[in-house]
This record gives sequence, C-alpha cells and structure tokens, in this order.
Amino acid sequence: MDSKSCNNFVSYVGFEEHEMQPLGSSRRNSSCENGIKLLPGELLIAKAQNVLMFSPVGDSKQGMSGVLSVTNFKLAFVTTDDTNGEDATHQQNHLYGYTDTCLTNVDAIYVIAGDKKRRLLPGNPVPSKVKGIFIICKNMRTWLFSFKFSPLKDGKNLLTALLHHAFPNSHHRLFAYDYKEPYYSSVDKGVQLFRDISDWQNELDRTMRNRGQMKKGWRISSINVQFKLSDSLPQYVIVPASITDSQLNNAAQHFQGSRPPIWSWSNERGAALVRMSELHPTITERTQENTMFENIRKSHPQILAPIVIELNKDISVKSVAAGYSKFVSLCSPENIRQFWLQDNNFYSLLESTRWLKYISYSLEKAVEASEHLNLGTSVILQESDGRDMCCVVSSLVQLLLDPHFRTITGFQSLLQKEWIAAGHPFCDRLGLVVKADTEKSPLFLLYLDCVWQLCQQFPAEFEFTETYLTTVWDAAHVSIFDTFIFNCEKDRARAVIDPNYPLVLRSVWDWREQFNDQDILLFYNPLYNPETSCTTVKPLYAIPCLELWTQCYFRWIPPLEIRNGGRNHIELYTRLIQNDISRLKVNANGSCASPVDKITTYLLQMNIDSFYPFSNRNSDNTTISTPIMNSSMLVTESLLDAQSLLNAPD
Amino acid sequence: MEKRGSAELLNAEQNNSKNASSDSLNSDSKSSSLNSKMGQESESWEKASHSKSFSTSSTSTDNNIVSALEAKKENQGKNLSGSDTGPPLLNGERVQGVAREVTYLCPYSGPARGVLSVTNYKLHFRSIDRETPYVVEVPLGVVSRIEKVGGASSRGENSYGIEVFCKDMRNLKFAHKQENHSRRNVFEKLQQYSFPLSHKLPLFAFEYSETFPENGWNVYEPIAELKRMGVNNDMWKISKINDSYTLCDSYPAVWAVPAAATDEDLQASAAFRSRGRLPVLSWIHPESQATITRCAQPLVGVGAKRSKEDERYVQLIMDANAQSHKLFIMDARPMANAVANKAKGGGYENEDAYQNAELVFLDIHNIHVMRESLRKLKELCFPTIDETRWLSGIESTVWLKHIKCILAGAAKIVDKVENHKTSVLVHCSDGWDRTVQLTALAMLMLDPYYRTIKGFEVLIEKEWLSFGHKFQQRIGHGDEHHSDADRSPVFVQFMDCVWQISQQFPNAFQFNEHFLITILDHLYSCRFGTFLFSSDRERVQEQVKQRTVSLWSYTNSQLSLYQNSLYWAGPHYQLVLMPTASMRYIKPWKSLYCRWNPSMRQQDPVYQRTRELLVQKEQLEKQVMECRREQASRANRSLTSPAPPRLHSPVHS
Repeated sequence: MDSKSCNNFVSYVGFEEHEMQPLGSSRRNSSCENGIKLLPGELLIAKAQNVLMFSPVGDSKQGMSGVLSVTNFKLAFVTTDDTNGEDATHQQNHLYGYTDTCLTNVDAIYVIAGDKKRRLLPGNPVPSKVKGIFIICKNMRTWLFSFKFSPLKDGKNLLTALLHHAFPNSHHRLFAYDYKEPYYSSVDKGVQLFRDISDWQNELDRTMRNRGQMKKGWRISSINVQFKLSDSLPQYVIVPASITDSQLNNAAQHFQGSRPPIWSWSNERGAALVRMSELHPTITERTQENTMFENIRKSHPQILAPIVIELNKDISVKSVAAGYSKFVSLCSPENIRQFWLQDNNFYSLLESTRWLKYISYSLEKAVEASEHLNLGTSVILQESDGRDMCCVVSSLVQLLLDPHFRTITGFQSLLQKEWIAAGHPFCDRLGLVVKADTEKSPLFLLYLDCVWQLCQQFPAEFEFTETYLTTVWDAAHVSIFDTFIFNCEKDRARAVIDPNYPLVLRSVWDWREQFNDQDILLFYNPLYNPETSCTTVKPLYAIPCLELWTQCYFRWIPPLEIRNGGRNHIELYTRLIQNDISRLKVNANGSCASPVDKITTYLLQMNIDSFYPFSNRNSDNTTISTPIMNSSMLVTESLLDAQSLLNAPD
Repeated sequence: MEKRGSAELLNAEQNNSKNASSDSLNSDSKSSSLNSKMGQESESWEKASHSKSFSTSSTSTDNNIVSALEAKKENQGKNLSGSDTGPPLLNGERVQGVAREVTYLCPYSGPARGVLSVTNYKLHFRSIDRETPYVVEVPLGVVSRIEKVGGASSRGENSYGIEVFCKDMRNLKFAHKQENHSRRNVFEKLQQYSFPLSHKLPLFAFEYSETFPENGWNVYEPIAELKRMGVNNDMWKISKINDSYTLCDSYPAVWAVPAAATDEDLQASAAFRSRGRLPVLSWIHPESQATITRCAQPLVGVGAKRSKEDERYVQLIMDANAQSHKLFIMDARPMANAVANKAKGGGYENEDAYQNAELVFLDIHNIHVMRESLRKLKELCFPTIDETRWLSGIESTVWLKHIKCILAGAAKIVDKVENHKTSVLVHCSDGWDRTVQLTALAMLMLDPYYRTIKGFEVLIEKEWLSFGHKFQQRIGHGDEHHSDADRSPVFVQFMDCVWQISQQFPNAFQFNEHFLITILDHLYSCRFGTFLFSSDRERVQEQVKQRTVSLWSYTNSQLSLYQNSLYWAGPHYQLVLMPTASMRYIKPWKSLYCRWNPSMRQQDPVYQRTRELLVQKEQLEKQVMECRREQASRANRSLTSPAPPRLHSPVHS
C-alpha cells in the first residue's frame, strides 16, 4: 500500500529545502487562470464577473467588487482591489486564499431572489434570477455575495455549479482524488497513525512501561487485518489476553457494529480504559456482555471488576446536532441587526442551544472515568456502537491523565488512535458526502471545545494553543487530506487500492502542506512547561465554570473583534518574554559576544486584534512586528534541532 | 457480574455534595471568609475544594499565593495578644464579646463548632472540631443586617441562632445553644459594632492606628493631577472659587474650568444646575484638547426655563476645543427618566437653546434599578448555584445588561473625544452616580496613566471621592437602616466594568483582579478612612486625613501583591482602549460574586506562569550582567581600556 511507504518516509531533503524558502511563499505548483490560482488537478467550473462581496455581519451597503468562481475544490473570490498581499496579517494557507472557501466547508446556501431568501438544498432548482447568495460555512464563516452588477446569467450558473459541487453524492468526487500534486510526507515522526501493528505495540509498551504483570492482561490481535471482525475497527485491536480470536469473533456478532470491547489506554496501576458498543437491541440475553466484563476483570493486575460508564444518557448524536444548529445561528448572524437582536438575549439563547451543557456532560464523564482509573479501577465506556461519544470521552480521559497526549505530536497520535483508527464516522458526521441515511453531527468540534476548556483551565499544561485547535477544526473541512474524510480505516484502505479512483494519502498533520513556519509557530503555547506539568488535571465542568470559545465561534464576526485586545495578547506577551529569556540564555551561556544574529528568527506581529491570526486587519495598515528566536520550537526538538539552528546561516 | 450504571454513580456523588451544602437549615445559609486574605482561611477553603474533587499539586492558585503573602504581612502587623484561640487583632481593635459552643452553618462544608468573637472591627469564628481550624472573618462594616433565627420554642439542632446578611454577596448563619444564653450578648455586640453610627459609637477607621511605610493620603493632589493634564493652559484654568465649599458643597475645593469663564459665569451656571453642580473639567486630551466635563442636570423644569449664562458657559467649554465646533452632551439617563425629571424641576438641555450641542441619551437606569439587579444576582450566586439554569438566570438579573449599557456609553464618549476630537459634557440627574461611572470609565480607556495602580487610585480619589459620589449613603457605613433607598452598588458596578475591560485587554492594566477585590472589600470594611463620608467638605470637617488611615497606605505598602504580571508597558502598548460592548463578551465576575462558593474557585496559572517567566528573565539578566562585568574586569586587567558593561537590551523592555 502506498500509504505506508508514504507515511513512514520523512524527507529530510524536503525539510531543508523548505527552510531555505523565503517566508510566505508557497512551494506548490499552482497555475493561474483568469487570476484564480489553481492547484494541480483543480478545474475551473463556473465564474461570475462583477460580483460584490459584503463584509460579514455588516449593513450590506458597501461591497468589494471581484470575480467569484467555483472549481472542483473551492469557491474563490478574487478582487482587483485586493489588500491581502504579502503583508497580510492573517494565517495564510498555501492551498486556498483568505477569501476562498473549500467546497467541503460549505454548510448551507441561501439564495436571494427578489426580496426573499431561501435555503437551497442539493437537487433544488435554482431560480433564473439570482440576486445574491448567502453562505454559511461549517467553520461558521459567512459570505454574502451580490450579483447585482454581474452579467445576467452569471449568478445562476455559478449557483448551479456551487450547489452541485459543494454537495457531492459520492466519495470519489472529493478533491482529494483529483489533487495531482506529488506528495512527500514530512509528518513528524512522533505522530503515530495507528495503522501499523508497531504503533499499537509501542502504545502498549509505553503505557505499561514494560511491566510484565500488566502486559500479561492484554494482547494485540490481528483478527481484523482483513476487516472481517468489524467494518469500523482498525486492523489491529488490543483485547483481553484471556479471549481467543475465535471467542472474539463469536462475541463480536452480539455487539452493535460487531465491536467487542477494545483496549484504549492503561495507567501505571494497571487500570485500563476500554471502549465497547452495546449488545444488539434484539438480544436480551446478556451472557456475552458479562463474559466480556469478566475478561476485562481478568486483565486487571489485581483482577478487579471494571466500572461501566454509559454514554448514551442525556446525549445523542442527534441531540448534539440539533443543539448545534441553533448554536450556529447564534454564531453566524446574517446582518448587524440580527447580531444586536441576538445580543439582547444572548445568555438565554446560548442556554437554549444546550451546547455548553453537552460540553459539561462530556467533561463530567471524563472526570468520572479518570477518577475511577486513578483509584485503580478499569473503566468501560459504553455507547450504542461506540464510535461517537466514546471517542469524545475516551480521548478526553487520556488528556486528563497522560501528559504525553498534551504535546502536539501526542495529541495528534491521540486523535489517530481514539478517533481515526477507532472509526469515528468523519465522512458522515462532517457531512462530506450527501447520502440519505447519514447523520451529520459535530462530535469532533464538541471534543475540540472540551479540549479548549481544558486549555483555559490549565493554560500551562498543553503544548498547543487555541489557534492550533481552531486550525484543526478548519483543517477538518479541507478535502485534500485523508485524515478526516473517511468513516473508518476499512474505507481508507479500500480507497487506496481502488484503481478507478487513485488516491494519495496526505496526512493533515503535515502542517507544512498548509502553512509556513511562522503560522505554525503560533500553534505552540509559550506558557507550556513540560517540566512542571501535572500528571493529571481535573477540570471544573459545571456550566458556570465553562467559557465560550470565542476565537473559534466569533472570529468571522467583525463587530466582535477587539482592536488591539483579546486574550491572545497573553500569548503574545509570553512569547516576547520567552524570546528575551532565550536571548539572555544565549548570552549567558556562550561568550558574551552576541551570536544572536546567527539564529533563525521569525517575525512576530506585535499589534494584533483579538481574532488574530484569523481576522484580517484592514482598517489600519501599519503592522508592527519584531524578530524573535524560535524559542517555542526550540523546546520541541522534533521540529528543529536547537544545535542546527544555532549553526544555521542567516 | 452486575453492571453499574454511570448515572447511578453520578447520583451518589451528587447526593454527597448536596449533603454537604444543603441540609435543612443550612440551605440558605452562607459561608465563609471575608476575602481570601487570611492565610488560615484560604487554607481551609482549599481543603474544602480538594475534598470535593480536585487534587492536583498545582492548586496553589495565584489568589492563594497572594493571600498567603498578604496574611504573612498582615500577621506581622497584628497584635497577637490575648488567648491562643482569640482572634488576631489589628492595632486599635479590641475584643468586645466571645461566645463558645457556637456552630457556624457553612452551606458548603456543613456545620462547624467553635468560638465566635466580636471585636470593634470584625466578627471572627474559629472551629474547634476540625483538624485544620476553619476560620471565618468578616469586618463588621460588611454587615448589612443581623437577624435572630428561632425563639424560645425552637426545636431541633441548629434552629436557634443568628443570621448575618452581608453587603458582599453572602449571609452567615450561626447556631447557638439556647441554654447557654450566649446569643443575646453576641447579637447586641454585633448590632453595636456593625452599626456604630446608629449606636453613637465611632467608626473603626477612627480607632485603627496602624502605620504604613507609604502615606496614601498623598496619592492624590488635585493641582498636581490637573498639571499632569497640562492645566493651566491657554484654554483651561484652575479655579478656587469653591475654596470654602460655598458654591457647591458636594464638589471639591479646586477644579478646572474654561479660562474664559468668569466667576460670575460659574455662579450663574451653578445656579441653573442641580445641587450647584456646574460643568467642570474631568479630563483633557493631551493632543486635541478635546475634553470630558461633568455636571448635574439643568434646572429646566416644566416651564422650560433657560439660563443664558449656562448656555454661554457651555459654549465656552466647546470653544475651549479648537478642533471641533460641536459639543456632545451625554445624558446618562433613559430619555423617559430625563423627561420625568422636569416635573421635579430638573430636565435636560434643549438643543435649540444650546447651539452646536447634540444631546444623546445613554439609557442607563437609576440607582434603584441597579440595587434590585444586584440583589437578584446575589440570589442567583449564593449560596449555591443552579447550574442548569445559570445562563438564563444571569440574564434574568439584568446585571450584565446594565454593565453593557454603561460600557457602551463610556465607549461612545471615548469615540467622540478620541476619534472625533469633540468635547463631551456628561451628566445624569445629580451628576454623582451614573455620571462618574461614565467619566471615570472613559478616562480609564483614554489615559494609560489611570491604568497604573497609583493612577487608578488617583482616578477614584478624583472622580469618585472628591466630586462627591455619596459613598456614605450608597454603602451605609455603620448605619443600621439596611433598606434605605439611597443604598446602591454604583461603585461596585463601576469596578465590574473595569474588570470587564481588563478581561478584554489583559495587558493594559498594571493592577490585577486582586487589587479590585481588595478595594471593594475595604469599600465596606470601615478600616480605612478612604470611602467614608460623601464629600470633600465632610471629610475635611471630620479631619479624615488626620484621624484615619488611607486604604492606599495599605495597598501601596505591598504593591507586588496587586501587580498584573501580564502588564505590558512596552513601546507598542495600547494608548486608547475600545472595549466591545456586546453581551457575547460581558461575563459575570465569578471571582467576585461567586467567590464564597468553593466549587466555583478557578485557578489562574497564567499569572503564576508569567510571573515565573519574569523571574527567570530577571535572573538571566543578572547573570548576563555579571558575565559582562567579569569580562570587562578581565579586559581591564589585560588592557587598560575600560569598557562599561552594558546590558543587552531585550526586545521590548
């Protein structure tokens, strides 16, 4: 399989080449057609001239004129009076521009015809006269375009193309299949994808620290190598050592999704975190379930009975989706009038979405599970087919208890293990492909929000920043990467070998595919201090203790931007102190002749607004920046070797 | 094997915590300690929160570090005489009564048996039945009212005692044993010393005799502050017309007015303004000379009276700013209230009479509405929180909407002054409640000086104290009339607004949240003279400066406790703050309003971590300096050319 060679190959050459690159430039081979940058494999489908783009949540009085196009990858707006040049202050993506939207990010399209606005669903007829369109994206960005000054048919053509391509009805119409750029992976070696048996073996060794007694309880089974045990489980699963493969096979049939209990993690006391699905609703005989519990008991070094935490009470994939849709409308007001109307009752409106309640619930369950584990009791997380709330809670528990997962590579490995390998149906939940029987629901965002709450309560315990988390959510809607486009490993494995629709696997964790080092620098939390970090963190989860993730949810609402303010100034200030410390260290350690100017420096923007790096500062075009040493990256040797940094030419 | 449902487990846990916080009598009783200042107290708090759930070793919060430090300092100054179980006493503090076998009914950790002492300053309870003594201390100035609970016929445990209602969002319940007859004495002493003015006793501030290295009474000097703003200049002059407080008895002796205004102008304008509170200078823009001036409503009345002199005087204020030919009059009230005030002889400026002036109503409600709103907030926050209805509950108190309205009003003033270079005249009815909220907030946003610790003290001294915010009536120091209609949390609301701004601009303030909370604690405590009385005239008459200690003596003697480690006065720091007045950003100030609830206590390691980093930086700077010095001296020895050691300058220092 290509995927393996691809993912295990780290190109040092590419790495260095990249270092030599001038900042801000893209290394991609993009062609240019009518002013629109096209990626290899990207095709222009429709175009509308003289389109007005209005600033979001405004009064729709002043627009920016430009060309709006639909390709098989994105909706692109190119304006002649573009100010987003090289000095842009926002995060810059190599794959698409600031005023572009990946088609997979499009959530809802409204057509404005006459004085009316109505939602267009895939397959709906497009009216002949399209006055404008209003688009809500999955990352809550909104777009308002007017075709008032466009040639007559442009609006209709564009909308027809958009409606068709933004909601594909088959998986291979995602752009990942069309993207022709050759790929050489430079994913950090520390990120475990949990596709190979070695990753599972390492995880078992790491958590059990080679304590033989504990390891005796669990074994790696290859029973699912051909996905014959379960469609949604990975090829390798860790199961109680007391169960044979044939017993496992037999038991699996009784459980939803054919998913018997699977090991996720163990703590140093040997207490294991296990996730499992429920018995099929038609089965009333609980023998199989009890047999499984008994096996998990036997796997405990002291043969202690596990605790079962059910994750289907008071929450469901459906209820999260329903609450979220209300929440989205609160975060994507169409105009300034609606914005202030919502503002009047914001707190009760927020309560009615139940979004914070679901976060509270998830954190509460994670705290509950972590308390049992800390006491030495194994915990079984149980949910209908174990692919949704199990992912949320299981990966939260491990963040609470295992500092390894609070690093960036650790966190990415955790997502690989508990979400991707464990078969969270990303394709369905993100609504990437239009199918009748799928349920869209933002479980992954729910999880990221929970993680953000942890970062708020324990700001020095996580290597990543909220900008990183927000970027992960954005990246989930870029259909170039395979990470979040499949429902399970089986689908991925099939896609890779399908000769009709060849697909190259590109991991989203290869952040340099999307961003330059300066933007990646902002993923690293300058407050993080691995030396003094706690082994376990215990968050407050009551609703009054939770906050709203304003960066992720409000960043596209200009009236909410705090000029020269915002919590991100804490980060900025800490970076500056860290930078001073790094320079002083160089001075204190080395000779007093200053070698500082030999070190690779990055420009840190100093005058930032509250939604930096996502907003575009346009009212004030003086940007002030200061060179800083890459101190946060110095900490993580995986990215840059400190010594080579010191020796690197300017 | 039996399967244990998680819901069941959860319930068990919830029940436990319920037992702790709400057995019969306790349910609406209240807990705890004054501020997190007393070391013992915060220790016991921490214990409580640990037993509830949290356990990490890093729970020593910023607050706790601060409180520990502060407790240490405070203990040094304390007269530790008296028995071992007696309360630590301040200089000038005396124990007035002690009751043993009293039970404090903590709404969170359950009943604790111990000794209750009453001094002329505080109520002090110390448990004797717990391993770590549980201590509750409340300065009696904080007490709003005291009630006896239960009578001779009361049955059942803890049904007979005293309930103390406080101004700082908590109530305390103590149960006495009927047979001891201890309640009567405690109740009487509490009444006397909580409400000394109603019992012909002095306020504690007049008995407190601590000395501090700093003298806070020197913090604010009106002329020096006017000079800092560049007055006198061509357009503005210092006037001493009110030297003996005869023109306006609620204004200070010294103020600034347009240079062109004569004393007759001032007298005529004062005659046309409620309580003689004529327009005077609050702040002047250092570049544009646009000003913020403040006053009370004009005495328009139902007859639509006019005063040519007042109109002319307002014109002088406008003319003093060459940049603009317009003046904004910001009436803080809702228009309906302004209209209604005509019936009482007040009203608002007619735009026809005041040419070139534009009148804007800012829709801020009166002191009674605010009092009611905070009362609801207390109900919501204390003693326990219904978390399922927390958000809608917050909304129903309307407290945050009022905050938003005030912030929006202040931001409007800042916008006019900063972006349009236009002067703004602010008033409400009397010009001592909403007006000062607005002017003080606008000044805080416009002038970074007021965002330093000493600058903030000056701001409070100038805008609030010297211009006659009626602290005595609004707080009711030492006064037993708890339902007095003059009481209102106007100053608390201002501090809340300051906190909201500091949340949006975490680097902009030299002081931290602890500073704000300390000020609010001593707003009530009556330990310092700062917030006593309602005007400069009264304070001079009562010789407050001579006879009491200033709160700023206390704060300025331990500045490091109040320093915001994120404060950044670097070259690119923000001069003018423009907070966003959207409900999406305005938050309940949990560390103030919910601080008695241990389950709401959040840690804030951001400050801890940045402090660590700053310390590390300082050490490295020293190290580098030493290295340089060593090298220089070595160079000196070999050559003879002395190179002065120069510290490598970091990016933004």
